[in-house]
Amino acid sequence: MLELKHALDAKGHCLLEMPSGTGKTTTLLSLIVAYMKAYPLELTKLVYCSRTVPEIEKVMEELRKLMNYYEKEMGMEQNIVGLALSSRKNLCIHPSISKEREGKVVDGRCYGLTASFVRARHQGDDSVPVCNFYEGFDAHGKEFPLPPGVYNLDDLKEFGQAKGWCPYFLARHTLIHANIVVYSYHYLLDPKIAEVVSKEISKTSVVVFDEAHNIDNVCIDSMSVKITKRILDKCSNSIQILETTISNMKENDNKRLRREYERLVEGLRDANLARETDMALVNPVLPSEILEEAVPGSIRNAEHFVAFLKRVVEYVKTRLRVQHVVQESPAGFLRDIHTKVCIDRKPLRFTAERLASLIRTLEISDLTDFSPLVTVSHFATLVSTYTKGFTIIIEPFEDRAPTVSNPILYFSCLDSSIAIKPIFNRFQTVVITSGTLSPLDMYPKILDFHPVIMSSFTMTLARPCILPMIVSKGNDQVAMSSRYESREDTAVIRNYGNLLVEVAAAVPDGIVCFFTSYLYLETVVSSWYDQGIIDQLQRHKLLFIETQDAAETSLALVNYIKACDNGRGAVLLSVARGKVSEGIDFDHHLGRAVLMFGIPYVYTQSRILRARLEYLRDNFQIRENDFLTFDAMRHAAQCLGRCMRGKTDYGIMILGDKRFSRADKRSKLPKWIQEHLKDSLCNLSTEECVQVAKRWLRQMAQPFSREDQLGVSLLTLEQLQSEEMQKKIQQRAQAVELTW
Amino acid sequence: MDDQTCPKCKTTKYRNPAMVLMVNACGHALCESCVELLFAKGSGACPECKIPLRRNNFRVQLFEDSAVDKEVDIRKRILKEFNKRQEDFPTLREYNDYLEEVETIIFNLVFDVDTTNTNKIIDNYKRENKDITQRNKNRQSQEEMELEELLEAEKTQQQEKANLYVNAELEEKKQKHKAREKLIDELMFSDADAKSIVASHVQATAAIAKEQPKLAAASGGAAVVKSSKFSSGIQIGLRGTQNSFLPIPKQEELPLYSYTATVFDYNGPTPPAIETLGRLNYFANIRAANTAERAGGYTEALSCCRALQEAMGGLFYCPQSSHKNFSTAVTDLAGEVDDMETT
Repeated sequence: MLELKHALDAKGHCLLEMPSGTGKTTTLLSLIVAYMKAYPLELTKLVYCSRTVPEIEKVMEELRKLMNYYEKEMGMEQNIVGLALSSRKNLCIHPSISKEREGKVVDGRCYGLTASFVRARHQGDDSVPVCNFYEGFDAHGKEFPLPPGVYNLDDLKEFGQAKGWCPYFLARHTLIHANIVVYSYHYLLDPKIAEVVSKEISKTSVVVFDEAHNIDNVCIDSMSVKITKRILDKCSNSIQILETTISNMKENDNKRLRREYERLVEGLRDANLARETDMALVNPVLPSEILEEAVPGSIRNAEHFVAFLKRVVEYVKTRLRVQHVVQESPAGFLRDIHTKVCIDRKPLRFTAERLASLIRTLEISDLTDFSPLVTVSHFATLVSTYTKGFTIIIEPFEDRAPTVSNPILYFSCLDSSIAIKPIFNRFQTVVITSGTLSPLDMYPKILDFHPVIMSSFTMTLARPCILPMIVSKGNDQVAMSSRYESREDTAVIRNYGNLLVEVAAAVPDGIVCFFTSYLYLETVVSSWYDQGIIDQLQRHKLLFIETQDAAETSLALVNYIKACDNGRGAVLLSVARGKVSEGIDFDHHLGRAVLMFGIPYVYTQSRILRARLEYLRDNFQIRENDFLTFDAMRHAAQCLGRCMRGKTDYGIMILGDKRFSRADKRSKLPKWIQEHLKDSLCNLSTEECVQVAKRWLRQMAQPFSREDQLGVSLLTLEQLQSEEMQKKIQQRAQAVELTW
Repeated sequence: MDDQTCPKCKTTKYRNPAMVLMVNACGHALCESCVELLFAKGSGACPECKIPLRRNNFRVQLFEDSAVDKEVDIRKRILKEFNKRQEDFPTLREYNDYLEEVETIIFNLVFDVDTTNTNKIIDNYKRENKDITQRNKNRQSQEEMELEELLEAEKTQQQEKANLYVNAELEEKKQKHKAREKLIDELMFSDADAKSIVASHVQATAAIAKEQPKLAAASGGAAVVKSSKFSSGIQIGLRGTQNSFLPIPKQEELPLYSYTATVFDYNGPTPPAIETLGRLNYFANIRAANTAERAGGYTEALSCCRALQEAMGGLFYCPQSSHKNFSTAVTDLAGEVDDMETT
């Protein structure tokens, strides 16, 4: 809290690592809300970004508790609006549309009912359907602000049902004056969405990115484009639709095209106006230079523009017709497109804007079919805007299946700072936090920002409730490692199996294992089957396996939880970087032990990764190995952290690879794990590991009550105010002051 | 690409992977062998639109859509003449108007709209702007130059970087080799204690390793400066207090928790244990559990045991008597009951 307050005072950015289950969310919320109350002019808004919908709901719950507490203590209603925002899919209450499963379809159908021209048509002709909820919102909802309170997604829906207003648009409208907004990363980081949703959030806001250990990848994904053959084929179809619509419109309603044309002659000036007054977030897809100029003459006319699009698509098609991998820079691509199909850089830069304008003019209500074309237009705009920090890679086939032709064009962003830069520049404080952010100094480098505070906190615990161990060899003294050369070795696989069997025999309830990849998981399990290890394992616990299929995995998870709940005990085999490792908590009996089989390095042969590594080396002076280790260790830490979700929880963490005990890997683990990883727990064999685990488990299984924690990891109000404790806090505060 | 078909002989790319489609000025495709057959004389009519074509104008079709091939062809021809730059116009607006005009001309030619008029316009333009066209031909546009420069810079940078890293690696290897040889030499010829020599060697290598990044940074030039401080003067990395670990909580070795079975007070004679029921012949008058019930974990012993417990529980309960007296009575009686049953 002290660090956070310093950062808020300094109006700077900060980077905080706090172990999960120590009240990270509550701390952030309570301090920032208190700050907002104390200095209402300096800090007007809290934007809290989380990753998934359940996480958003959890934050809302914490916020509600906080507000109730305020009410109880202050004895009056709090004048604060807290709001969760999610996609239309999660917020729609329209009787038929809300039944749709796919987000894109919901968006498209919603647009089909709420677009301004559809509603205009509805006024003339009652048979044109519109959404009653949106109409209700438009008629009444805009004047009345949402009454103060905390609204999660369900509350919004209920409120919307009661009033007959569309909750999605209500939330988006309220976003501007709400004090606390909770939503997903993409609403800020993805330039296409941020443009629509988060444009008008004021400068004096605090932005919190929770669970942000993967934030660089989110940034990169939001700026990268992947074009396959199928997308291009669909593009050709959409272009045909455009063509016919234009010719129809020319016959019937030439006026509208004419009007658009005249507007384009004038330029995109109104957008520019908004940016000048500093109302809006800078959009990296729409760079400022574009706004100062009018659309170039060659794509001003609708028909010319469609012909232009056709040429772009055809050109990309020819590029996909390659026999070997091609990698080139955006500059090279631009030169080639100029010589092959005579397209200059300037009109390319306007493609995305021009397409959006055309679709609006043509009043196409079903946008779902056009998403491939929009993707290509984004690609065109990006490739012509950025000459640095991007690369184009065209692969004729996948590495795993070199005989099947499946050409893909990757337009890959190499620099994660491009997407996040506007956010750092615009907002006064950005807080990046997660349970596992180690090593901390990597993040400022790859995101290219200057934090005023960077710190890693540990937990004060009443008992040693995590037991990290590095197991480097089996009982037969063969080194365990997922190194490429030795991963197929049967001795290594057998040793991993024996480790798991022995741990399963000693540890109660749930055990979670993480492999480095799906491929490795499959090979290991199949050879375990041959070696009879699976049979041995099933004598102790049930076995569940994560697969790439989401439905299958969630079924396995449900049954895993069932098996743990009724005391049968279960083992879950899953993959680091998979769904299980990212979003699912195995608290208490669901995860008494986590086993990490090997170091989860990324697939280093991937060309996109190679290009990114090279870029990092050249521009940020980060060596390839450093980055790879950093990436592997943060995922390993993420997996290990799954089993530890609070102070009363306990769990064993077994790192099954020889290489973990090297200093460069060990020192990259989060501090709260590192401090339990004594030298005596490194470099164990399977037998020793089980010995240590048995002893430790016996201690942990002793009854543990709240009284045991009091005074150590839990303080009553009296204890907090006691002289001794105050002194301690003072000392700590001074220590921090001194280092400033 | 596999579904390409020659309109004349109906050969597909699938049947003849070597097939190459060609296009001419009219934009209709023909496969290579058909071109050879039909245009043996060097000229002939297009089989689809009957336009007279010359054989040496045939080119390999580049795009999937042959119309695009035609358009690009026309565009290249037109742009050779219409090559004015933005610098040639006083305002951006006029340049944009010019661009649109060019686009319209190309569009007309591609779709054969108003060809005669368009051709006239082109001729007019050619006559009027002869010298500008000529001049621009020899001059690269600003944009092109920018791109060229970028590409050039990329190339040189890449080369430099590659050289740098290769050199650095070589240097490192050399130094390692040298250090090792030195160590061996010293161990062979020096009279000092072997341990101290090894220790000093370890120190020396550590010092070199520390210097290494500095050297690399220096050789990298201005661009490659490793920043260890922010502009505010704050060090990158964890600060002093942050590096200290909290002490791990120690737990004393308490006597371990041990399980003691709970004692039930039936207030009656002790019912027989569940394991002994079969032996005592209690099942004689009970319906045996069927197979389906057994599969579910049910046995007749369960219900029998429960019935017995219910029957005997509370038999000695009398609210007046004190609890102490009562419990002794229970044990006495229980012994009697046991005797009775065994006999």
